[in-house]
Amino acid sequence: MSAVGSLKQTGLLRRGVLLGTILLIYVFLLVPVAMVVLTSFTGRAFPAIPYDGISLQWYVALMTDSQLLGALFTSFVVATGAAIIAVIFGTIAAIGFVRAEFPYKQQLSTIMLLPMIISPVITGIALIRYFGQINVNAGYPTLIIGHSILGVPYVFLLVRSELVTFDNDLEKASRVLGADPTMTFTNVTAPIISPALLSGLFIAFIVSFGEFTATQFLIAPGTSTVPVEIYDMLRTGLTPEINALSTVLVVIMVLAAVLSRYLER
Amino acid sequence: MLEVNGLTKYYGDLCAVNDVGFRIDEGEFVTLLGPSGCGKTTLLHMIAGLREPTEGEVTLRSENVTNLPPEERNIGMAFQSTALFPHMTVRENIAYGLRMHGYDEEERHARVQEFLELVDLPNHDDHRPGELSGGQQQRVSLARALAYEPDILLLDEPLTGLDRVLREEMRQWLMTLQRELGVTSLYVTHDQEDALSMSDKVVVLDDGEIQQVDHPQAIYEQPVNDFVAEFVGKSMQFSGPIRNDGPRPFVDAGDTCVVLPNDSVSSDREEVSLYVRPEDVNIEAAQATADGGATTVAATEENAFPGTIEKVSNLGNRAEVTATLESGETALASTNRFPHLEVGDEVLVTFDSESVIVL
Amino acid sequence: MSVVVERSPVPSWLSDRITNRHLVAIGVGWVTFFFVFPVLFLVVESINFGDGHPLQAYQRAMGGVYLAAFVRSFLYGIVTTLVTLALAYALAYYLVFSSKRVRLLLTLVVVPLWIAYIIRYFGVLLFFSPTGPLAQSFGIETDLLFTTTAVIIGLANAYLPFAVLPIYNSLNAIHHETINASRTLGAGQLRTIYSVVLPLSMPGVVAAGVIVFILSAGSFLGPDILGGSGQSMIANEIARAFLEAFNIQLASALAVIYTILLIGFIAIFNAVFDLQEALGNL
Repeated sequence: MSAVGSLKQTGLLRRGVLLGTILLIYVFLLVPVAMVVLTSFTGRAFPAIPYDGISLQWYVALMTDSQLLGALFTSFVVATGAAIIAVIFGTIAAIGFVRAEFPYKQQLSTIMLLPMIISPVITGIALIRYFGQINVNAGYPTLIIGHSILGVPYVFLLVRSELVTFDNDLEKASRVLGADPTMTFTNVTAPIISPALLSGLFIAFIVSFGEFTATQFLIAPGTSTVPVEIYDMLRTGLTPEINALSTVLVVIMVLAAVLSRYLER
Repeated sequence: MLEVNGLTKYYGDLCAVNDVGFRIDEGEFVTLLGPSGCGKTTLLHMIAGLREPTEGEVTLRSENVTNLPPEERNIGMAFQSTALFPHMTVRENIAYGLRMHGYDEEERHARVQEFLELVDLPNHDDHRPGELSGGQQQRVSLARALAYEPDILLLDEPLTGLDRVLREEMRQWLMTLQRELGVTSLYVTHDQEDALSMSDKVVVLDDGEIQQVDHPQAIYEQPVNDFVAEFVGKSMQFSGPIRNDGPRPFVDAGDTCVVLPNDSVSSDREEVSLYVRPEDVNIEAAQATADGGATTVAATEENAFPGTIEKVSNLGNRAEVTATLESGETALASTNRFPHLEVGDEVLVTFDSESVIVL
Repeated sequence: MSVVVERSPVPSWLSDRITNRHLVAIGVGWVTFFFVFPVLFLVVESINFGDGHPLQAYQRAMGGVYLAAFVRSFLYGIVTTLVTLALAYALAYYLVFSSKRVRLLLTLVVVPLWIAYIIRYFGVLLFFSPTGPLAQSFGIETDLLFTTTAVIIGLANAYLPFAVLPIYNSLNAIHHETINASRTLGAGQLRTIYSVVLPLSMPGVVAAGVIVFILSAGSFLGPDILGGSGQSMIANEIARAFLEAFNIQLASALAVIYTILLIGFIAIFNAVFDLQEALGNL
């Protein structure tokens, strides 16, 4: 009787310890970002938990800061452009790699993943020096091309995994049913793989929108992005305006991610 | 209706299909039978226009279509994977082929309805393929392939992947449908039961080459070579040289002698293979002699061999009995009655010399 | 003769001219032109064509603060990887074997991946900063800011999701029957974890370890925001040489050395495991 009881107790204890550990890991993972968002609503001059009521004054400050609004605009333009280019080239490569057969295919496809592996500091320096050599101007061109390179591996992996499960019989069936290759592509292939493309588009957008390390080398005066602004503000000291700007960034990125996940289904 | 002449396909140096020729008449149901990798799918794709032949031609309705793309051949095709478009409803799937063949909205609607009823799925037009069972999907796939009245229906192992009971049912259903519509059909399969039970004519393919073209019964009873004999149906096998120094020709298969049909080749040949179908083999318990040993009637009768029961499988409507002969060969008999035999029983295996297939 | 098109994903007006190999060439060519070439160009940039030794930047890069930064990158990478793997394994194990809300909990793991690194490091900074909410509202001063501990905590926080996913996938692939079999064969719970679950989930653990090591060893923001000059890692030294000292030759030499080390590491790993499969988990 007592043996059973103590067994049950150690079982409960073990489960309690496990649950506690898991909870702590989630706290560790999520609380920092939650704290950024929470303390953006303070009325004080430093990021504080808003016990004494929620204030939007730092968001108001944000709205009147033309430099930050400019950075937000730049980030949008760059992320949109970069995402489109990344999807185009990531998809082209994914289709090619899935359907072509040639020696060393697997090894060659690793090139598509390199931008994910090499430290972004190196990417940033390499790109800005190289762009200087081939006469690409710093600013939008370097940012858009650079960010698209950083997004390509994600699009490539996503679209490739989608295409691998694509049933090639569908295209054959369409042809036999009387559709020519163009109609087959627009009626069958495109509708089936487009959710993956859209999902890839949003992921590439997110990668670009949040990128700082390589970006700091690629910007030109007047084309600063939001993460670069946040970094510069952090250098000069903590103000809740950083939190407000970060929160805006978080909202946009999470929104894009939710859209992407929704489209993937 | 369909004629294939000297069709050949090379992949690099590899020959997948070699000089294949056969014809299908209007309304016929022909099966292309062969083991996987024998080139039957390549052959089917060349007929459909999905693959370009290295040599040879395909004639459909007396028109040479060898160089036409699939969409201009007016064929219907059912795939093993069903290949239903997952993003379209059942109705849209069936209407797709009609749309591509220029049917207007009204006709499309009527035909979709008609063919859904034909395949017994009248109320499933708004379902997505993913919501249907395997058998239902295959039926929709057939409706889609037939709705625009193709000149010929190509079926690429449509029943593979269905479970045994459903497969049997679909086979019946498919045969009825084909006879009803009278559509010329080419059915590709590796399953001999499919081939023997449904077709007017069977084309046996192996290693990219045609082995035999004949009626199902002839394929089973008069195979032309060892491959066909072994691939289609089960059998009991012997081999050895033919001898003519007895009252009738016989084969000296080591420890046993097998007497051959009267009309079989009388010339001496080094080595022949003999096949006896299980339906023609009889296995019965050996009668005990007075001293308790098994009889040796075998010695006096032709084609009767003593053996021991190895396995008895009851297959419901029939039973299969496997015995090992004293000479070492394995005998297989199929019977409609339940054989009152057990593993280890001493038996006598007999068959009529007229039923022996000599190759 | 070539009217018949063997299945092709692109319209005929394109496919007549473009084959799948062309598609590969376009994709790979684009990454090569805008990524591989730029990185290779750093090799040229790192060589001294003026007076002095052609490889003088390399001589400098192999010593002093730079050597220390290389060593630090390696050590921080290892420590971060170990800490992250331990946390990720516990979490993934719970998700696979004990949790009833897997979808929700897994989403919570992925959410941080959608948020910019800089914001996540900023969040960690709020806990350590003397002007952060903890210090100001509760009077809790950690004295951790600008320490190695703070950098490791930041890195582990940033890369934990990357470790959870591969381990989760590999644990999820283990048949529950295997575990039940071990239990019925007389092994206790811990014994089962040790001798059945752990070996079977090893591919996921290795994949997670490699990803976290690559990312954390090359991190710039972690040590930059949470560390001091004593926590400077190789990415920080490269950036400093480039942005502050304007010594492009040195920055390039450091980048070249680091890239060669990294690619060597990946090549060794790739010979044993499939890197693509590891990255495909993300």
